[in-house]
Amino acid sequence: MRLESDRLGIAAFRLGYVAIFVAMLLPLFIVIATSFSASGNLQFPPEGFSLRWYRAFFADIQWLRAFDNSFIVGIGTTVVATFMGITAAFGLEARNSRLGDLLTPVVILPLLIPPVILGVTLLVYFSALGLQSSYLGIVLAHSLWATPLVFFVMQSVFQRFDWELRDAGMDLGANPISVFVYVILPNVKNGIVVSALLAFIISLQEFVMALFLSNFQTQTIPVLAWNSLRQSLTPTVSVVSTFLVLISVAGLAAAALAVNLDFVAKRLS
Amino acid sequence: MSDIELQNISKSYGDLQAVDDVTLSVRDGELLCLLGPSGCGKSTTMRMISGLETPTSGEVYLGGENVTDQAAYDRDTSMVFQNWALFPYKTVLENVAFGLKMRGDGADERSRRARDMLERVHMDGYEEHSTTDLSGGQKQRVALARSLAVDPDVLLLDEPLSNLDKRLREEMEIELKDIHQEFDKTFVYVTHNQDEAFTLADRIGIMNDGRLVQVGEPTEVYRNPTNRFVEEFLGDTNFVAGEVADVDDRYASLSTDFSETIRIPAFEPVEPGASFTISLRPEFMSIQRATGADSPAETTARADGTGGDTIGGTVENTIYRGSRIRYVVDVGGEDLFVEQSVADQVGIQEGEAVELGWNTDDLLMFHPDGSRVGAE
Amino acid sequence: MSVQTPDSVLDRLWSPFETQSGSRRSLFLMSPLILFELLIFVVPFAMLVRISLSEQSQSLPYAEGTFTIASYIEVLQSGFLQGIIVYSFRLGIIATVLAVVLATFYAYATWRADGLLKSALLFSVVLPLLTTLVIKTYAWVPLLAPNGTANNLLLAVGLLSAPVQVVPNTLGVVIGQVYIVFPYAMLAIYSVLSTVEWELVEAARDLGAGRARSFVEVVLPEIIPGITVATIISFAWSVGAYSAPALLGAGSDRPFALEIQEQMLLNFNWPIATALSTIMLVLMFVSIVLIYVVLGRFGGDVSNAA
Repeated sequence: MRLESDRLGIAAFRLGYVAIFVAMLLPLFIVIATSFSASGNLQFPPEGFSLRWYRAFFADIQWLRAFDNSFIVGIGTTVVATFMGITAAFGLEARNSRLGDLLTPVVILPLLIPPVILGVTLLVYFSALGLQSSYLGIVLAHSLWATPLVFFVMQSVFQRFDWELRDAGMDLGANPISVFVYVILPNVKNGIVVSALLAFIISLQEFVMALFLSNFQTQTIPVLAWNSLRQSLTPTVSVVSTFLVLISVAGLAAAALAVNLDFVAKRLS
Repeated sequence: MSDIELQNISKSYGDLQAVDDVTLSVRDGELLCLLGPSGCGKSTTMRMISGLETPTSGEVYLGGENVTDQAAYDRDTSMVFQNWALFPYKTVLENVAFGLKMRGDGADERSRRARDMLERVHMDGYEEHSTTDLSGGQKQRVALARSLAVDPDVLLLDEPLSNLDKRLREEMEIELKDIHQEFDKTFVYVTHNQDEAFTLADRIGIMNDGRLVQVGEPTEVYRNPTNRFVEEFLGDTNFVAGEVADVDDRYASLSTDFSETIRIPAFEPVEPGASFTISLRPEFMSIQRATGADSPAETTARADGTGGDTIGGTVENTIYRGSRIRYVVDVGGEDLFVEQSVADQVGIQEGEAVELGWNTDDLLMFHPDGSRVGAE
Repeated sequence: MSVQTPDSVLDRLWSPFETQSGSRRSLFLMSPLILFELLIFVVPFAMLVRISLSEQSQSLPYAEGTFTIASYIEVLQSGFLQGIIVYSFRLGIIATVLAVVLATFYAYATWRADGLLKSALLFSVVLPLLTTLVIKTYAWVPLLAPNGTANNLLLAVGLLSAPVQVVPNTLGVVIGQVYIVFPYAMLAIYSVLSTVEWELVEAARDLGAGRARSFVEVVLPEIIPGITVATIISFAWSVGAYSAPALLGAGSDRPFALEIQEQMLLNFNWPIATALSTIMLVLMFVSIVLIYVVLGRFGGDVSNAA
């Protein structure tokens, strides 16, 4: 019969992953809960239930501007990163070159460097160029992180792509650009959608570099959240957090509809 | 004793019933083949013997001991997987010695036994190779060696030859049979390939849709199928359906789409109006050119005076299959096929009028529900 | 072959490239990215190193045009800065070990799970991944503060007699930092783990390996590439941690990220800040190479993980 130690082992295993599951989602849940607090304290469970902080948020022009900034930067990053990631991945896949092998480590490198160093370095650099605190600066910085992701997602998409379709297209008289537009793009659009979404979300939530590269006018949501936190811990930040989490969930749902979650999870790694 | 008893075992996954109330005895030392189409539950049944699956209901006994709840690592069975499942980051020797390592043998002892086993499967010299370098046949042997190294009571083989090409497969079939005789263990072998089963098995267990349909020696199962599924699965045959017209004391006549008077043995259930399907095995049928006396239009079976029937038809296709020819003959709108060995053939061409003949006692009959009529 | 259809626009686009060879075109396609990396990454870092080799100045962030290694010497000799370097690496190592071990476990559980459970486990990892650092860090405050939920719960139940200060404290920093890197580590491992054939584990079990043993013998060697990536990422980000120490740490929790910010933006002492950065980068690079080499001896090819 099944040994007791076997059963115990299985029970411990289950307990383990449930515990981690709770640990992963509990903090987010708490933050969302505190946004409904009636009092100004950051307590969980919240004292009372109220939407006052939500009202305060919509009245606060700083936050609304921060939202605008985040979206502007997000769209900008998405466009830049997606363009570069796709063209590079496509160029790589069209021919397996040594340049490609060289490119991969260079593209990954920014991801490993502490964002503080990146932020500070780019601050100095952009200041010299007169780009400090500009949208462009933040977009370029975020693209350093978003492009590798788009690149790798598209690289694996192109790897799975049936290149015979391209040959068929050319055989039927289409030049390579037409082939790209009419044959390849439609077939990889799932990958493009997913990587564009991911680029956007990465930009949306990137914090450290934006902290250094934005000012009062151009600060993005995470930066404003951070600064508010440093001053005082109020549920307003929880409200913002709730919105951000909801946006992420929506983005995930959209991506999951295009492909399934397993696929997204694997692409993210 | 390494006999196996399966008592009313079933396995279901949610709504899916993979194995349905199977009871089977495997005798000590025999090679039993579980044969059946994909999805029939044969692999699942074998995995329940190995312990990799637990039955939803029913019991498994190995050598008289109830092992139903025992995990795979505690059972004295060893499995050879369809894709061989050789460990990629271990050498051939380390793979073969793995089971010995798990049971605690010392390093020298393990190495010695593993080398010995590799020699017996003719893979000596490959000890330090990586498993990824090997060909299909070589992987097969290493997998065998690995499973045999732990000296299990029962060896389980899950379609081990299905990934090999034809010639290699036939070679390995013979090698496996030799190994079975040499090692004298109980083997349970799962396959969907009928030829394999017939070559290797002492007994065959035919499964369909989760159920065990028939168990017996190969010749017995072939000669005496319990139902239409078995008949259809083992080799090709012509099925002809019809209604009984009138009954004699020895024979009855079956009215089919293309002939009024095919004679069938008059077993008990045969009465006028009853429906039956008969199986006309190509190996029981003869083919010859139509003699001038018959008009090609005559497609009614006639008694030929020797206890059989003859029927006329036109050859539609001749298909050469190496050493045999298959004739597809249009008989009154139905296609029947007959086979002849190339050596015996007389050059009958497409379009020619021919006569097919068979002996009534060689017919197999089935009820409409598939069960066999008058099994011996 | 010219086509008299709307395609002719694309034909005209294409014609200048018609005579280029395949690899030239490939180069052309990759040039936006290459240019980008050069301008936004390589050049700024060259600047960084250049500044670190300049003299410090009273009135300016740094004295342009000068050349000295004085800043490096100062960093390497300062006990205070040494302490900072040590703290950073210690945080890095602890957070990495915890994160990778837990991530391996969780990835395994996810691999074995099916259907709804699998999606739930993946969701629990992907959602924090897409959440901003600020929230991820700040979320632990209501939970772990002296007057927070955890303390209140344990006090009420009687397991504690007085509140424990997890936040602000080093323990809180570690928890927060592990929480931050865990999703990345888990997904890196999972992406490799999901390609492992379960049949191999079955074969091992069939040959007598118990649950734990079959994992160690068969699965672990195959997922080393994923573990390596997970370790490198966790380590790099934990050594360079900023938000967790800043928000969840006490005054004594001072990794080099915070120090650089202070030196750069408060003290305007750019040579020191950049010298410290460069030293840290070099040390981190060496560590990462070490990690890669050491782990690589246990198993498969890392290029499979990328």
